Amino acid sequence: MSEWVNGGLQDPAYMAQRIAACEREIQKGIIGQREIIRQVMLAMLTGGNVLLEGMPGLGKTRLVSTIGKVFDLSFKRIQFTPDLMPSDVTGTNIIIKNELGSAFSFERGPIFANLILADEINRATPKTQSALLEAMQEHTVTVGNDSHAIAEPFFVLATQNPIENEGTYPLPEAQLDRFMFKILVHFPGREELKGIVALTEGNQEPVIMKQIDSRGLLAARALVNQIPIADAVMDYLLDIVMDTHAGNPYIKEGASPRAAQALIRATRAKAFLEGRFNVSFQDVKEMAFPVLRHRIILSFDAISEGISEDDVIKELLH
Amino acid sequence: MGQSEFVKVIQNCRQRLNLADFMKKLVSALSIGAGVGILFQAAAFVMPLYYVGLYTGLALILALLAASVAAYAKRTSMEQTALVMDSFGFDERIVTAYGNLEKEGALVALQRADAMNQLQVHQDKIRIALLPPWKKTGSLMGLFAVLIVLALVPSEMKERARELHSVKEEAKEKTEEIQEVVEALEQLEQEEELTPEQQAMLQEMIESLQASQSEYQQVSSNEMMRAATEKLNYRYENMGSQLASLAQSLQNGATVSSVTAESLQALSNKMQEMSGAQLAKGNAGQSGNNGGNGQGSQNGQSGNNGNNGGNGQNGQNGSSGQNGQNGQNGQPGNNGNGGQNGNNGNNDGNGEPGSGRGTGTADTPHDYVSIPNDIADSGNLTGNAVDHDASEYFHAQNGLSWEGTHMSHEAVIGSYEQNAYEGIAAGKYPSGMEEIIKAYFSNFN
Repeated sequence: MSEWVNGGLQDPAYMAQRIAACEREIQKGIIGQREIIRQVMLAMLTGGNVLLEGMPGLGKTRLVSTIGKVFDLSFKRIQFTPDLMPSDVTGTNIIIKNELGSAFSFERGPIFANLILADEINRATPKTQSALLEAMQEHTVTVGNDSHAIAEPFFVLATQNPIENEGTYPLPEAQLDRFMFKILVHFPGREELKGIVALTEGNQEPVIMKQIDSRGLLAARALVNQIPIADAVMDYLLDIVMDTHAGNPYIKEGASPRAAQALIRATRAKAFLEGRFNVSFQDVKEMAFPVLRHRIILSFDAISEGISEDDVIKELLH
Repeated sequence: MGQSEFVKVIQNCRQRLNLADFMKKLVSALSIGAGVGILFQAAAFVMPLYYVGLYTGLALILALLAASVAAYAKRTSMEQTALVMDSFGFDERIVTAYGNLEKEGALVALQRADAMNQLQVHQDKIRIALLPPWKKTGSLMGLFAVLIVLALVPSEMKERARELHSVKEEAKEKTEEIQEVVEALEQLEQEEELTPEQQAMLQEMIESLQASQSEYQQVSSNEMMRAATEKLNYRYENMGSQLASLAQSLQNGATVSSVTAESLQALSNKMQEMSGAQLAKGNAGQSGNNGGNGQGSQNGQSGNNGNNGGNGQNGQNGSSGQNGQNGQNGQPGNNGNGGQNGNNGNNDGNGEPGSGRGTGTADTPHDYVSIPNDIADSGNLTGNAVDHDASEYFHAQNGLSWEGTHMSHEAVIGSYEQNAYEGIAAGKYPSGMEEIIKAYFSNFN
């Protein structure tokens, strides 16, 4: 009998249960926002990065810190400002004096953590934003002639404010493409708000328990990557990506091949999280929105007619 | 549920899907077939289509075949079946498991087990309807009802189609019969003992019969059939007598084998018999005339006149003249043409002078010819014969009382013959009539 049947890290059923338990534990610390939590979980399961777009004060920092506790991961928050330098993110070489003399030593920046919250990423200059590029894609940081690996799992959760455009630097398409999901964080409903207030203003903070460690998360990722996809489902998925290039009058630029990869991984993770070991058409339909919405560039017609990226994706899915 | 059972369940669903698809295509194809059948049946109301039932049946059979071929060509694959099964709430578990049946791996095995388990528990959710939607089936039934009603409703055109068909069948039989005679004549023509004149006579007979064949091939109505039959009858009579005299002369001359002479005699007898058979039909028609049947009257009259030929009494019969007056076809005109009596006036009125024949010249002397003052586009005759307009002749008296002159036929036969030959040269008469006209005038020489 194979190893996974014994309930270890290789056991898909067991791991699916553990991941589901993680999700439930995160929901203890975050009121509402179930869809946001679900999508962040999916990104973590696939090793992707997330761009959260929403108003300040919606619990983004709390979400990331809770995830860190549940998965027992190191967490760093970087507040992006116009004067933030790349070395403030990546770290820099400094001179260290000791008994043997002085020498350069690399002082790690806040990027060296498992979970990074890049708050208001669009407030930093493009130079600083691009410092994140290598880390997000390669999970390494190069300073001078030396490359420094970032410990796995590595996960960047960036936020940006959709209404304040003055003094901001919109993320270039190349950088946007490196985010697996772009998640829109909406203002909570009245009941959710009531719960949030009760939770945060109460005397007792909820106790968040560790459910799985970084080893477990990496094992879950490996399992997710093995989930089979039927040919028909794969064809449907690829057709959607191809359709973003099929002369749609509302699309100026379609999704990149990275979008297809992200969609495949996202659908696998979603199936895994739901206790299935296969990808369904519904998985593809649901994941198309967070995966594609920041990867297609709308045409002037779409903007002038007030058509959003989600409207275009909805049309593609039909 | 084991792997084989899993596949078997998919196969069962596949069979059901294929059957349902066939039923769907069958209903669509039969609807089209029934639509085409309705068009055929509707067309049968405006044009003679004897085989309309056959065409309708063929359209339906073709529809059935098309549905079968299309259903076979586009039969559902196992993957497609699995996808259909997944649409009943299995979230693509079945198609994924089926696509990875041969693969190995922890996740693949787990997925397969999950799919089989789900299928076993929720198999009853899969419901594949065999029959197409009731709207389609209902409209097909409606089309069939319309088709049956159209097929059963009688119409004049359907009667005409049946008549045309029987005429064609009869014409075909006649053509074959003539072909036999033609072949017999051709064999006789090969006899070396025959003189060139005799061979030419036989060749003339063959050509004459071939002209009859051509006429039979063109018949499209009872009237044309009757006309062609009368012409053939006439030809048989003439040929029979000519062959009999030829056989007699050959026997007397003793320059030919007895076999040839006997063949000639036998052929002569056969022609006489065939002519007699036609005559009998004519007599039967005459009986109908006595009974007051209008159609039978015309037929009988033709047969009667053909037989009696020069019966002056018949020719003077005003009743015969009235038949000609009707001008419904060329047949009454034939009677007058041969009768050489008061009916002659009626012939002109019919406007189809070439189609008639008469045997009156054989037995009675030609005394006088009545020459009316006005013929063709004259005042008492409407319609243009050249343009084949409907003609109607007005007269207040019988044929013998016409105004005009009476003179000996010898005085006019020459000019009549010349006119006839000029007409033949100008192509004014049907091809089959040319020989008859020539034969007619040759009797006077």
